[in-house]
Amino acid sequence: MQSNQTFADVFKARGVSRRDFLKFCSLTSVYLGLSPSMVPSIVEAMEKKPRTPVIWLHGLECTCCSESFIRSSHPSIEDLLFNMISLDYDDLLSAAAGTQLEDQRHRIMKEYKGKYILAVEGNASTKDDGVYCMVGGDSFLNTLKETAADAAAIIAWGSCASFGCVQNAHPNPTGAAPVSEIIKDKPIVKVPGCPPISEVMTGVITHFHTFGILPELDRLGRPKAFYNTRIHDKCYRRAFFDAGMFVPSFDDDATRKGWCLYKMGCKGPTTYNSCSKIQWNGGTSFPIGSGHPCIGCSEPNFWDRGPFYERLAEVPFLGSDSNADKIGVIAVGAAAAGAAAHAAVTAVKKAKSEKHDNNDKA
Amino acid sequence: MGRIIEEIYVWRLPVRLYHWINALCMVVLFVTGMYISAPLLSPPLGEAVWYKGMAWWRYMHFVFAFVFIANFLFRLYWALFGGDKYARFGGFRPWSPSWWGKPFREQVESYLFLRSDEPNYIGHNPVAALAHFLFIFCGSTFMIFSGLAMYGENNPSGFSETLFGWMIPLFGGSYTLHFTHHLGSWMLPIYVIMHLYAVVRHDVVDRTSVTSSIITGYKHKVEEEPV
Repeated sequence: MQSNQTFADVFKARGVSRRDFLKFCSLTSVYLGLSPSMVPSIVEAMEKKPRTPVIWLHGLECTCCSESFIRSSHPSIEDLLFNMISLDYDDLLSAAAGTQLEDQRHRIMKEYKGKYILAVEGNASTKDDGVYCMVGGDSFLNTLKETAADAAAIIAWGSCASFGCVQNAHPNPTGAAPVSEIIKDKPIVKVPGCPPISEVMTGVITHFHTFGILPELDRLGRPKAFYNTRIHDKCYRRAFFDAGMFVPSFDDDATRKGWCLYKMGCKGPTTYNSCSKIQWNGGTSFPIGSGHPCIGCSEPNFWDRGPFYERLAEVPFLGSDSNADKIGVIAVGAAAAGAAAHAAVTAVKKAKSEKHDNNDKA
Repeated sequence: MGRIIEEIYVWRLPVRLYHWINALCMVVLFVTGMYISAPLLSPPLGEAVWYKGMAWWRYMHFVFAFVFIANFLFRLYWALFGGDKYARFGGFRPWSPSWWGKPFREQVESYLFLRSDEPNYIGHNPVAALAHFLFIFCGSTFMIFSGLAMYGENNPSGFSETLFGWMIPLFGGSYTLHFTHHLGSWMLPIYVIMHLYAVVRHDVVDRTSVTSSIITGYKHKVEEEPV
Protein backbone atom coordinates (compact mmCIF):
# COMPACT_ATOMS: atom_id res chain seq x y z
CA MET A 1 0.00 0.00 0.00
CA GLN A 2 1.38 3.38 -1.00
CA SER A 3 1.73 5.64 1.97
CA ASN A 4 0.86 8.85 0.11
CA GLN A 5 -2.61 7.73 -0.96
CA THR A 6 -5.53 9.86 0.16
CA PHE A 7 -8.47 8.47 2.13
CA ALA A 8 -10.68 8.93 -0.95
CA ASP A 9 -8.30 6.83 -3.04
CA VAL A 10 -8.47 4.03 -0.55
CA PHE A 11 -12.27 4.22 -0.33
CA LYS A 12 -12.43 4.04 -4.12
CA ALA A 13 -10.01 1.14 -4.34
CA ARG A 14 -12.16 -0.74 -1.82
CA GLY A 15 -15.29 -0.16 -3.85
CA VAL A 16 -16.98 2.33 -1.58
CA SER A 17 -19.36 4.60 -3.46
CA ARG A 18 -19.02 8.37 -3.26
CA ARG A 19 -22.38 8.46 -1.53
CA ASP A 20 -21.09 6.22 1.25
CA PHE A 21 -17.90 8.25 1.42
CA LEU A 22 -19.90 11.45 1.99
CA LYS A 23 -22.02 9.65 4.56
CA PHE A 24 -18.87 8.68 6.39
CA CYS A 25 -17.67 12.29 6.34
CA SER A 26 -20.96 13.62 7.79
CA LEU A 27 -21.01 10.88 10.41
CA THR A 28 -17.46 11.77 11.44
CA SER A 29 -18.41 15.44 11.74
CA VAL A 30 -21.26 14.45 14.04
CA TYR A 31 -18.95 12.35 16.22
CA LEU A 32 -16.55 15.28 16.42
CA GLY A 33 -19.35 17.63 17.39
CA LEU A 34 -18.75 19.85 14.37
CA SER A 35 -21.39 21.93 12.65
CA PRO A 36 -22.73 20.73 9.25
CA SER A 37 -20.84 23.58 7.59
CA MET A 38 -17.59 21.76 8.43
CA VAL A 39 -18.51 18.67 6.39
CA PRO A 40 -16.98 20.09 3.17
CA SER A 41 -13.64 20.58 4.97
CA ILE A 42 -13.70 16.96 6.03
CA VAL A 43 -14.55 15.84 2.52
CA GLU A 44 -11.76 17.98 1.11
CA ALA A 45 -9.22 16.72 3.61
CA MET A 46 -10.21 13.12 2.98
CA GLU A 47 -9.94 13.59 -0.77
CA LYS A 48 -6.80 15.66 -1.06
CA LYS A 49 -4.57 15.26 1.95
CA PRO A 50 -2.20 12.31 1.91
CA ARG A 51 -2.82 9.84 4.66
CA THR A 52 -1.19 10.65 7.95
CA PRO A 53 1.60 8.26 8.82
CA VAL A 54 1.11 6.70 12.22
CA ILE A 55 3.59 4.85 14.37
CA TRP A 56 1.79 2.80 16.98
CA LEU A 57 3.86 1.69 19.95
CA HIS A 58 2.92 -0.83 22.61
CA GLY A 59 4.35 -0.54 26.10
CA LEU A 60 3.06 -1.88 29.40
CA GLU A 61 -0.49 -2.64 28.34
CA CYS A 62 -3.09 -5.33 27.77
CA THR A 63 -3.89 -4.52 24.11
CA CYS A 64 -7.51 -3.79 24.96
CA CYS A 65 -7.17 -0.44 23.14
CA SER A 66 -6.16 -2.21 19.93
CA GLU A 67 -8.92 -4.75 20.53
CA SER A 68 -11.44 -1.94 20.82
CA PHE A 69 -10.01 -0.19 17.77
CA ILE A 70 -10.31 -3.21 15.48
CA ARG A 71 -13.53 -4.48 17.02
CA SER A 72 -15.90 -2.08 15.31
CA SER A 73 -17.87 -4.74 13.45
CA HIS A 74 -20.51 -2.97 11.46
CA PRO A 75 -20.91 -0.78 9.58
CA SER A 76 -17.48 -1.66 8.36
CA ILE A 77 -16.72 2.04 7.84
CA GLU A 78 -14.54 2.05 10.96
CA ASP A 79 -12.71 -0.96 9.60
CA LEU A 80 -12.00 0.96 6.45
CA LEU A 81 -10.67 3.83 8.44
CA PHE A 82 -8.41 1.45 10.26
CA ASN A 83 -7.04 0.33 6.95
CA MET A 84 -6.69 3.87 5.76
CA ILE A 85 -4.56 5.52 8.34
CA SER A 86 -1.13 4.88 7.03
CA LEU A 87 -0.32 2.64 9.96
CA ASP A 88 3.33 2.21 9.16
CA TYR A 89 4.50 0.60 12.33
CA ASP A 90 2.56 -1.45 14.83
CA ASP A 91 4.43 -4.30 16.44
CA LEU A 92 1.12 -5.99 17.19
CA LEU A 93 -0.45 -5.93 13.73
CA SER A 94 2.54 -5.85 11.38
CA ALA A 95 3.34 -8.86 9.26
CA ALA A 96 7.02 -8.04 9.50
CA ALA A 97 9.01 -8.66 12.65
CA GLY A 98 12.39 -8.14 14.20
CA THR A 99 15.02 -6.00 12.47
CA GLN A 100 12.83 -5.65 9.38
CA LEU A 101 10.12 -3.95 11.42
CA GLU A 102 12.46 -1.79 13.48
CA ASP A 103 14.08 -0.56 10.23
CA GLN A 104 10.63 0.45 9.04
CA ARG A 105 10.11 2.53 12.19
CA HIS A 106 13.41 4.30 11.66
CA ARG A 107 12.60 4.89 8.00
CA ILE A 108 9.27 6.55 8.85
CA MET A 109 10.91 8.64 11.54
CA LYS A 110 13.42 9.90 8.99
CA GLU A 111 11.14 10.28 5.96
CA TYR A 112 8.26 11.93 7.80
CA LYS A 113 10.31 13.80 10.34
CA GLY A 114 8.02 16.07 12.35
CA LYS A 115 4.95 14.90 10.42
CA TYR A 116 3.98 11.50 11.75
CA ILE A 117 1.65 10.82 14.63
CA LEU A 118 2.94 8.72 17.44
CA ALA A 119 0.18 6.61 18.93
CA VAL A 120 1.16 5.12 22.26
CA GLU A 121 -0.74 2.27 23.80
CA GLY A 122 0.34 1.48 27.33
CA ASN A 123 2.91 3.27 29.41
CA ALA A 124 6.57 2.93 30.27
CA SER A 125 8.24 1.53 33.33
CA THR A 126 10.67 4.12 34.64
CA LYS A 127 12.15 2.24 37.58
CA ASP A 128 15.60 0.64 37.15
CA ASP A 129 16.10 2.21 33.69
CA GLY A 130 12.84 0.77 32.44
CA VAL A 131 13.91 -2.90 32.51
CA TYR A 132 10.37 -3.99 33.37
CA CYS A 133 9.23 -3.42 29.80
CA MET A 134 11.63 -4.51 27.07
CA VAL A 135 10.47 -4.38 23.44
CA GLY A 136 12.68 -5.19 20.45
CA GLY A 137 15.81 -5.46 22.56
CA ASP A 138 15.52 -2.03 24.11
CA SER A 139 13.58 -0.64 27.02
CA PHE A 140 10.22 0.81 26.06
CA LEU A 141 11.25 3.99 27.87
CA ASN A 142 14.08 4.53 25.34
CA THR A 143 11.96 3.57 22.33
CA LEU A 144 9.25 5.99 23.41
CA LYS A 145 11.66 8.88 23.89
CA GLU A 146 13.40 8.14 20.59
CA THR A 147 10.19 7.90 18.56
CA ALA A 148 8.56 10.88 20.24
CA ALA A 149 11.47 13.18 19.41
CA ASP A 150 10.42 13.70 15.77
CA ALA A 151 6.65 13.20 16.07
CA ALA A 152 4.18 15.96 15.13
CA ALA A 153 1.92 14.97 17.98
CA ILE A 154 1.31 12.11 20.35
CA ILE A 155 -1.93 10.30 20.94
CA ALA A 156 -2.00 8.56 24.29
CA TRP A 157 -4.38 5.64 23.80
CA GLY A 158 -6.25 4.41 26.81
CA SER A 159 -5.97 5.01 30.52
CA CYS A 160 -2.47 3.46 30.67
CA ALA A 161 -0.87 5.98 28.35
CA SER A 162 -3.07 8.84 29.60
CA PHE A 163 -3.04 8.43 33.37
CA GLY A 164 -1.23 5.21 34.26
CA CYS A 165 -4.09 2.79 34.86
CA VAL A 166 -3.48 -0.48 36.73
CA GLN A 167 0.31 -0.48 36.20
CA ASN A 168 0.79 2.64 38.27
CA ALA A 169 -1.93 1.89 40.80
CA HIS A 170 -0.66 1.76 44.35
CA PRO A 171 2.10 0.59 45.05
CA ASN A 172 3.32 0.84 41.41
CA PRO A 173 6.23 -1.64 41.66
CA THR A 174 7.66 -0.89 38.19
CA GLY A 175 7.47 2.90 38.42
CA ALA A 176 5.03 2.96 35.49
CA ALA A 177 4.44 6.51 34.30
CA PRO A 178 1.95 7.89 31.76
CA VAL A 179 3.29 9.37 28.53
CA SER A 180 2.73 12.96 29.66
CA GLU A 181 5.16 12.44 32.54
CA ILE A 182 7.90 11.21 30.18
CA ILE A 183 7.45 13.39 27.09
CA LYS A 184 7.08 17.03 28.00
CA ASP A 185 7.79 18.89 24.74
CA LYS A 186 5.13 17.48 22.38
CA PRO A 187 1.42 18.09 22.13
CA ILE A 188 -0.33 15.10 23.65
CA VAL A 189 -3.95 14.08 23.25
CA LYS A 190 -5.16 11.83 26.01
CA VAL A 191 -7.80 9.36 24.98
CA PRO A 192 -8.48 7.60 28.28
CA GLY A 193 -10.71 4.63 28.86
CA CYS A 194 -10.01 1.00 29.51
CA PRO A 195 -10.29 0.70 26.57
CA PRO A 196 -11.43 3.89 24.81
CA ILE A 197 -14.44 3.65 22.49
CA SER A 198 -13.38 2.79 18.93
CA GLU A 199 -15.33 5.69 17.38
CA VAL A 200 -13.59 8.05 19.78
CA MET A 201 -10.22 6.71 18.68
CA THR A 202 -10.97 7.04 14.97
CA GLY A 203 -12.57 10.44 15.58
CA VAL A 204 -9.41 11.85 17.14
CA ILE A 205 -7.28 10.68 14.21
CA THR A 206 -9.80 12.06 11.70
CA HIS A 207 -9.73 15.44 13.42
CA PHE A 208 -5.98 15.64 13.18
CA HIS A 209 -6.03 14.48 9.59
CA THR A 210 -8.73 16.98 8.61
CA PHE A 211 -7.52 20.12 10.28
CA GLY A 212 -3.84 19.39 10.77
CA ILE A 213 -4.17 20.32 14.43
CA LEU A 214 -5.16 18.41 17.51
CA PRO A 215 -8.78 18.63 18.66
CA GLU A 216 -9.68 21.09 21.41
CA LEU A 217 -8.65 19.62 24.74
CA ASP A 218 -10.09 19.96 28.22
CA ARG A 219 -8.15 20.67 31.40
CA LEU A 220 -6.94 17.08 31.65
CA GLY A 221 -5.77 17.01 28.01
CA ARG A 222 -8.72 15.02 26.67
CA PRO A 223 -10.58 15.94 23.46
CA LYS A 224 -13.60 18.01 24.49
CA ALA A 225 -15.72 16.52 21.74
CA PHE A 226 -15.79 13.17 23.55
CA TYR A 227 -14.87 13.91 27.16
CA ASN A 228 -16.73 17.15 27.81
CA THR A 229 -19.66 15.70 29.70
CA ARG A 230 -20.07 13.07 32.35
CA ILE A 231 -21.60 9.69 31.65
CA HIS A 232 -24.19 10.65 34.28
CA ASP A 233 -25.37 13.70 32.31
CA LYS A 234 -26.29 11.67 29.25
CA CYS A 235 -27.23 8.46 31.03
CA TYR A 236 -30.56 6.98 30.01
CA ARG A 237 -31.12 6.00 33.67
CA ARG A 238 -30.76 9.63 34.82
CA ALA A 239 -34.53 9.93 35.33
CA PHE A 240 -34.32 7.19 37.99
CA PHE A 241 -31.48 9.07 39.70
CA ASP A 242 -33.47 12.30 39.89
CA ALA A 243 -36.56 10.42 41.06
CA GLY A 244 -34.59 8.69 43.82
CA MET A 245 -35.23 5.22 42.40
CA PHE A 246 -32.07 3.25 43.15
CA VAL A 247 -30.92 -0.33 42.86
CA PRO A 248 -30.10 -1.49 46.41
CA SER A 249 -28.53 -4.85 45.47
CA PHE A 250 -27.86 -6.81 42.33
CA ASP A 251 -30.48 -9.47 43.01
CA ASP A 252 -33.24 -6.96 43.60
CA ASP A 253 -36.39 -6.33 41.64
CA ALA A 254 -35.17 -2.79 41.00
CA THR A 255 -32.21 -4.26 39.08
CA ARG A 256 -34.60 -5.94 36.66
CA LYS A 257 -36.52 -2.69 36.30
CA GLY A 258 -33.30 -0.94 35.34
CA TRP A 259 -33.22 1.71 38.06
CA CYS A 260 -30.24 3.93 38.82
CA LEU A 261 -27.03 2.17 39.93
CA TYR A 262 -25.80 5.11 42.04
CA LYS A 263 -25.98 3.19 45.31
CA MET A 264 -24.15 0.26 43.71
CA GLY A 265 -21.09 2.48 43.38
CA CYS A 266 -21.70 3.77 39.85
CA LYS A 267 -18.95 6.28 39.02
CA GLY A 268 -21.00 7.79 36.16
CA PRO A 269 -21.47 11.08 38.09
CA THR A 270 -17.71 11.62 38.23
CA THR A 271 -16.60 10.09 34.92
CA TYR A 272 -16.06 12.00 31.71
CA ASN A 273 -16.57 9.81 28.65
CA SER A 274 -18.90 9.17 25.73
CA CYS A 275 -20.17 5.72 26.72
CA SER A 276 -23.71 6.93 27.32
CA LYS A 277 -23.74 8.79 23.99
CA ILE A 278 -21.81 6.74 21.41
CA GLN A 279 -21.97 3.43 23.30
CA TRP A 280 -19.94 0.37 22.43
CA ASN A 281 -19.69 -2.18 19.62
CA GLY A 282 -21.48 -0.06 17.07
CA GLY A 283 -23.97 1.37 19.55
CA THR A 284 -25.04 -1.97 20.99
CA SER A 285 -24.77 -1.14 24.69
CA PHE A 286 -22.49 0.15 27.43
CA PRO A 287 -21.80 -1.03 31.00
CA ILE A 288 -24.74 0.78 32.63
CA GLY A 289 -26.97 -0.37 29.78
CA SER A 290 -26.01 -3.93 30.70
CA GLY A 291 -26.86 -3.39 34.37
CA HIS A 292 -23.35 -2.84 35.70
CA PRO A 293 -22.28 0.36 37.47
CA CYS A 294 -19.65 2.46 35.73
CA ILE A 295 -16.21 1.89 37.29
CA GLY A 296 -14.86 5.20 36.02
CA CYS A 297 -12.18 3.58 33.83
CA SER A 298 -11.41 6.80 31.96
CA GLU A 299 -10.70 8.82 35.10
CA PRO A 300 -7.22 9.32 36.58
CA ASN A 301 -6.15 6.68 39.12
CA PHE A 302 -9.50 4.92 39.07
CA TRP A 303 -7.98 1.72 40.49
CA ASP A 304 -7.09 3.55 43.68
CA ARG A 305 -10.56 5.06 44.07
CA GLY A 306 -12.23 1.81 44.95
CA PRO A 307 -14.07 -0.22 45.91
CA PHE A 308 -15.96 -0.30 42.61
CA TYR A 309 -19.28 -1.20 44.21
CA GLU A 310 -19.43 1.53 46.83
CA ARG A 311 -20.11 5.24 46.52
CA LEU A 312 -17.54 6.45 48.99
CA ALA A 313 -13.91 5.63 48.34
CA GLU A 314 -11.68 4.10 50.95
CA VAL A 315 -8.83 6.16 52.31
CA PRO A 316 -5.81 4.02 51.41
CA PHE A 317 -3.28 5.36 53.90
CA LEU A 318 -5.64 4.68 56.80
CA GLY A 319 -6.24 1.02 56.05
CA SER A 320 -8.72 -0.68 53.80
CA ASP A 321 -11.76 -0.22 56.03
CA SER A 322 -11.83 3.56 56.33
CA ASN A 323 -13.79 6.07 54.31
CA ALA A 324 -14.68 9.75 54.66
CA ASP A 325 -17.71 9.10 56.86
CA LYS A 326 -15.88 6.80 59.25
CA ILE A 327 -13.09 9.37 59.61
CA GLY A 328 -15.69 12.09 60.13
CA VAL A 329 -17.56 10.17 62.81
CA ILE A 330 -14.32 9.39 64.65
CA ALA A 331 -13.21 13.04 64.47
CA VAL A 332 -16.58 14.25 65.74
CA GLY A 333 -16.44 11.69 68.53
CA ALA A 334 -12.95 12.86 69.44
CA ALA A 335 -14.10 16.50 69.47
CA ALA A 336 -17.06 15.63 71.69
CA ALA A 337 -14.88 13.58 74.04
CA GLY A 338 -12.35 16.40 74.16
CA ALA A 339 -15.04 18.95 74.99
CA ALA A 340 -16.48 16.69 77.69
CA ALA A 341 -13.06 16.11 79.24
CA HIS A 342 -12.33 19.82 79.15
CA ALA A 343 -15.68 20.55 80.77
CA ALA A 344 -14.96 18.03 83.50
CA VAL A 345 -11.58 19.57 84.27
CA THR A 346 -13.14 23.05 84.24
CA ALA A 347 -15.80 21.91 86.72
CA VAL A 348 -13.25 20.32 89.02
CA LYS A 349 -11.03 23.42 88.94
CA LYS A 350 -14.00 25.68 89.55
CA ALA A 351 -15.17 23.59 92.49
CA LYS A 352 -11.66 23.60 93.91
CA SER A 353 -11.19 27.35 93.55
CA GLU A 354 -14.59 28.04 95.08
CA LYS A 355 -13.69 25.83 97.99
CA HIS A 356 -10.40 27.70 98.18
CA ASP A 357 -12.23 31.06 98.10
CA ASN A 358 -14.58 29.90 100.81
CA ASN A 359 -11.66 28.77 102.93
CA ASP A 360 -10.04 32.17 102.40
CA LYS A 361 -13.17 33.92 103.53
CA ALA A 362 -13.70 31.65 106.49
CA MET B 1 -26.36 35.79 89.37
CA GLY B 2 -24.63 39.03 90.23
CA ARG B 3 -25.77 42.47 89.23
CA ILE B 4 -25.06 43.61 85.67
CA ILE B 5 -22.53 46.41 85.93
CA GLU B 6 -21.94 47.14 82.26
CA GLU B 7 -23.64 46.47 78.95
CA ILE B 8 -21.53 46.43 75.78
CA TYR B 9 -23.05 46.28 72.31
CA VAL B 10 -20.70 43.79 70.63
CA TRP B 11 -22.46 42.00 67.80
CA ARG B 12 -24.21 44.42 65.52
CA LEU B 13 -27.25 43.34 63.54
CA PRO B 14 -25.34 42.41 60.31
CA VAL B 15 -23.06 40.13 62.32
CA ARG B 16 -25.97 38.45 64.11
CA LEU B 17 -27.88 38.00 60.88
CA TYR B 18 -24.79 36.52 59.24
CA HIS B 19 -24.33 34.16 62.16
CA TRP B 20 -27.84 32.73 62.08
CA ILE B 21 -28.16 32.53 58.30
CA ASN B 22 -24.77 30.84 58.23
CA ALA B 23 -25.78 28.39 60.95
CA LEU B 24 -29.00 27.51 59.15
CA CYS B 25 -27.26 27.12 55.78
CA MET B 26 -24.49 24.93 57.15
CA VAL B 27 -26.90 22.59 58.89
CA VAL B 28 -29.11 22.28 55.80
CA LEU B 29 -26.05 21.84 53.57
CA PHE B 30 -24.63 19.12 55.83
CA VAL B 31 -27.89 17.20 56.00
CA THR B 32 -28.74 17.49 52.29
CA GLY B 33 -25.12 16.74 51.34
CA MET B 34 -25.11 13.57 53.43
CA TYR B 35 -28.42 12.59 51.88
CA ILE B 36 -27.04 13.09 48.37
CA SER B 37 -24.05 10.88 49.14
CA ALA B 38 -26.21 8.11 50.60
CA PRO B 39 -29.85 8.53 49.56
CA LEU B 40 -32.49 6.55 51.41
CA LEU B 41 -34.53 4.13 49.39
CA SER B 42 -38.09 5.22 48.98
CA PRO B 43 -39.02 3.54 45.75
CA PRO B 44 -42.13 5.26 44.46
CA LEU B 45 -44.75 3.38 42.52
CA GLY B 46 -45.09 4.42 38.94
CA GLU B 47 -43.06 6.33 36.42
CA ALA B 48 -39.79 8.01 37.37
CA VAL B 49 -40.78 11.24 35.65
CA TRP B 50 -43.33 12.02 38.36
CA TYR B 51 -40.89 11.89 41.25
CA LYS B 52 -38.08 14.12 42.44
CA GLY B 53 -36.78 12.02 45.34
CA MET B 54 -33.15 12.82 44.63
CA ALA B 55 -33.53 15.99 42.56
CA TRP B 56 -35.27 17.79 45.46
CA TRP B 57 -32.37 17.15 47.85
CA ARG B 58 -29.85 18.30 45.29
CA TYR B 59 -31.94 21.38 44.53
CA MET B 60 -32.10 22.27 48.24
CA HIS B 61 -28.35 21.73 48.52
CA PHE B 62 -27.74 24.16 45.65
CA VAL B 63 -30.24 26.77 46.86
CA PHE B 64 -28.78 26.86 50.36
CA ALA B 65 -25.28 26.77 48.91
CA PHE B 66 -25.93 29.99 47.02
CA VAL B 67 -27.48 31.63 50.10
CA PHE B 68 -24.43 30.45 52.05
CA ILE B 69 -22.08 31.98 49.44
CA ALA B 70 -23.95 35.30 49.35
CA ASN B 71 -23.95 35.42 53.15
CA PHE B 72 -20.22 34.61 53.25
CA LEU B 73 -19.45 37.37 50.73
CA PHE B 74 -21.55 39.78 52.76
CA ARG B 75 -19.56 38.89 55.90
CA LEU B 76 -16.29 39.49 54.01
CA TYR B 77 -17.61 42.88 52.95
CA TRP B 78 -18.59 43.65 56.53
CA ALA B 79 -15.19 42.60 57.84
CA LEU B 80 -13.35 44.76 55.31
CA PHE B 81 -15.57 47.82 54.97
CA GLY B 82 -18.11 47.60 57.79
CA GLY B 83 -16.04 49.67 60.18
CA ASP B 84 -17.17 47.33 62.96
CA LYS B 85 -14.33 46.93 65.43
CA TYR B 86 -15.53 43.56 66.73
CA ALA B 87 -16.12 42.08 63.28
CA ARG B 88 -13.09 43.12 61.24
CA PHE B 89 -10.08 41.15 60.03
CA GLY B 90 -7.69 43.73 61.44
CA GLY B 91 -7.39 41.99 64.80
CA PHE B 92 -6.26 38.72 63.24
CA ARG B 93 -2.56 38.90 62.39
CA PRO B 94 -1.06 35.41 62.67
CA TRP B 95 2.12 36.54 60.91
CA SER B 96 2.84 39.13 63.57
CA PRO B 97 4.74 38.31 66.78
CA SER B 98 2.53 40.78 68.62
CA TRP B 99 -0.37 38.46 67.81
CA TRP B 100 1.41 35.16 68.42
CA GLY B 101 2.93 36.56 71.54
CA LYS B 102 1.47 37.21 74.94
CA PRO B 103 -2.31 37.40 74.30
CA PHE B 104 -2.39 34.18 72.26
CA ARG B 105 -0.11 32.34 74.66
CA GLU B 106 -2.12 33.44 77.67
CA GLN B 107 -5.36 32.29 76.08
CA VAL B 108 -3.90 28.89 75.15
CA GLU B 109 -2.54 28.50 78.68
CA SER B 110 -5.91 29.36 80.08
CA TYR B 111 -7.60 26.72 77.93
CA LEU B 112 -4.97 24.20 79.00
CA PHE B 113 -5.61 25.00 82.68
CA LEU B 114 -2.07 26.30 83.04
CA ARG B 115 -3.23 29.55 84.56
CA SER B 116 -6.04 30.20 86.97
CA ASP B 117 -7.34 33.53 85.65
CA GLU B 118 -9.35 33.83 82.43
CA PRO B 119 -8.21 36.52 79.98
CA ASN B 120 -11.30 38.44 79.02
CA TYR B 121 -12.07 39.77 75.56
CA ILE B 122 -15.08 41.73 74.45
CA GLY B 123 -14.88 40.38 70.88
CA HIS B 124 -13.15 37.16 69.86
CA ASN B 125 -10.16 36.00 71.86
CA PRO B 126 -7.04 35.11 69.78
CA VAL B 127 -7.67 31.35 69.90
CA ALA B 128 -11.28 31.85 68.80
CA ALA B 129 -10.05 34.11 65.99
CA LEU B 130 -7.68 31.38 64.81
CA ALA B 131 -10.45 28.75 64.95
CA HIS B 132 -12.75 31.01 62.96
CA PHE B 133 -10.04 31.67 60.41
CA LEU B 134 -9.39 27.95 59.92
CA PHE B 135 -12.92 26.59 60.05
CA ILE B 136 -15.09 29.45 58.87
CA PHE B 137 -12.84 31.36 56.49
CA CYS B 138 -10.61 28.60 55.04
CA GLY B 139 -13.24 25.88 55.47
CA SER B 140 -16.02 27.86 53.80
CA THR B 141 -13.70 28.98 51.01
CA PHE B 142 -12.71 25.40 50.25
CA MET B 143 -16.28 24.11 50.40
CA ILE B 144 -17.48 26.98 48.16
CA PHE B 145 -14.72 26.55 45.57
CA SER B 146 -14.99 22.77 45.41
CA GLY B 147 -18.78 22.96 45.47
CA LEU B 148 -18.91 25.43 42.59
CA ALA B 149 -16.44 23.32 40.62
CA MET B 150 -18.73 20.30 40.98
CA TYR B 151 -21.82 22.40 40.30
CA GLY B 152 -20.11 23.51 37.07
CA GLU B 153 -19.86 19.90 35.94
CA ASN B 154 -23.55 20.06 35.06
CA ASN B 155 -22.81 22.66 32.43
CA PRO B 156 -19.37 22.33 30.83
CA SER B 157 -17.86 25.64 29.73
CA GLY B 158 -20.53 27.49 31.71
CA PHE B 159 -19.91 30.15 34.35
CA SER B 160 -19.10 27.90 37.31
CA GLU B 161 -17.02 25.47 35.27
CA THR B 162 -14.97 28.24 33.68
CA LEU B 163 -14.20 29.95 36.98
CA PHE B 164 -13.80 26.97 39.29
CA GLY B 165 -13.23 23.97 36.99
CA TRP B 166 -9.49 24.11 37.70
CA MET B 167 -10.24 22.58 41.09
CA ILE B 168 -10.93 19.22 39.41
CA PRO B 169 -7.45 18.53 37.96
CA LEU B 170 -5.93 20.11 41.09
CA PHE B 171 -7.50 17.37 43.18
CA GLY B 172 -6.71 14.67 40.62
CA GLY B 173 -10.17 14.20 39.14
CA SER B 174 -13.84 14.70 39.76
CA TYR B 175 -14.19 11.72 42.09
CA THR B 176 -11.38 12.85 44.38
CA LEU B 177 -12.86 16.34 44.54
CA HIS B 178 -16.25 14.89 45.49
CA PHE B 179 -14.52 12.80 48.13
CA THR B 180 -12.62 15.77 49.57
CA HIS B 181 -15.76 17.91 49.61
CA HIS B 182 -17.53 15.12 51.47
CA LEU B 183 -14.69 14.75 53.95
CA GLY B 184 -14.61 18.54 54.38
CA SER B 185 -18.28 18.60 55.33
CA TRP B 186 -17.37 16.83 58.58
CA MET B 187 -15.73 20.08 59.65
CA LEU B 188 -19.23 21.29 60.49
CA PRO B 189 -20.17 18.94 63.34
CA ILE B 190 -16.63 19.13 64.72
CA TYR B 191 -16.77 22.91 64.67
CA VAL B 192 -20.26 23.03 66.16
CA ILE B 193 -19.23 20.88 69.11
CA MET B 194 -16.16 23.02 69.79
CA HIS B 195 -18.08 26.26 69.26
CA LEU B 196 -21.04 25.41 71.48
CA TYR B 197 -18.81 24.00 74.18
CA ALA B 198 -16.56 27.09 74.18
CA VAL B 199 -19.56 29.44 74.30
CA VAL B 200 -21.27 27.64 77.16
CA ARG B 201 -18.03 27.30 79.07
CA HIS B 202 -17.22 30.99 78.71
CA ASP B 203 -20.72 31.84 79.83
CA VAL B 204 -20.30 29.71 82.92
CA VAL B 205 -16.75 30.77 83.70
CA ASP B 206 -16.69 34.44 82.66
CA ARG B 207 -20.41 35.17 83.04
CA THR B 208 -20.38 37.63 80.13
CA SER B 209 -23.67 36.28 78.69
CA VAL B 210 -21.90 35.38 75.47
CA THR B 211 -24.64 32.89 74.58
CA SER B 212 -27.45 35.44 74.54
CA SER B 213 -25.19 38.07 72.95
CA ILE B 214 -25.59 36.48 69.52
CA ILE B 215 -29.34 37.11 69.78
CA THR B 216 -29.44 40.46 71.60
CA GLY B 217 -26.04 41.76 70.56
CA TYR B 218 -25.12 42.72 74.14
CA LYS B 219 -22.46 41.24 76.35
CA HIS B 220 -22.65 41.93 80.06
CA LYS B 221 -20.06 42.42 82.70
CA VAL B 222 -21.38 40.95 85.90
CA GLU B 223 -20.49 41.90 89.40
CA GLU B 224 -18.63 39.27 91.38
CA GLU B 225 -21.18 37.04 92.93
CA PRO B 226 -21.26 37.19 96.70
CA VAL B 227 -20.42 33.72 97.89
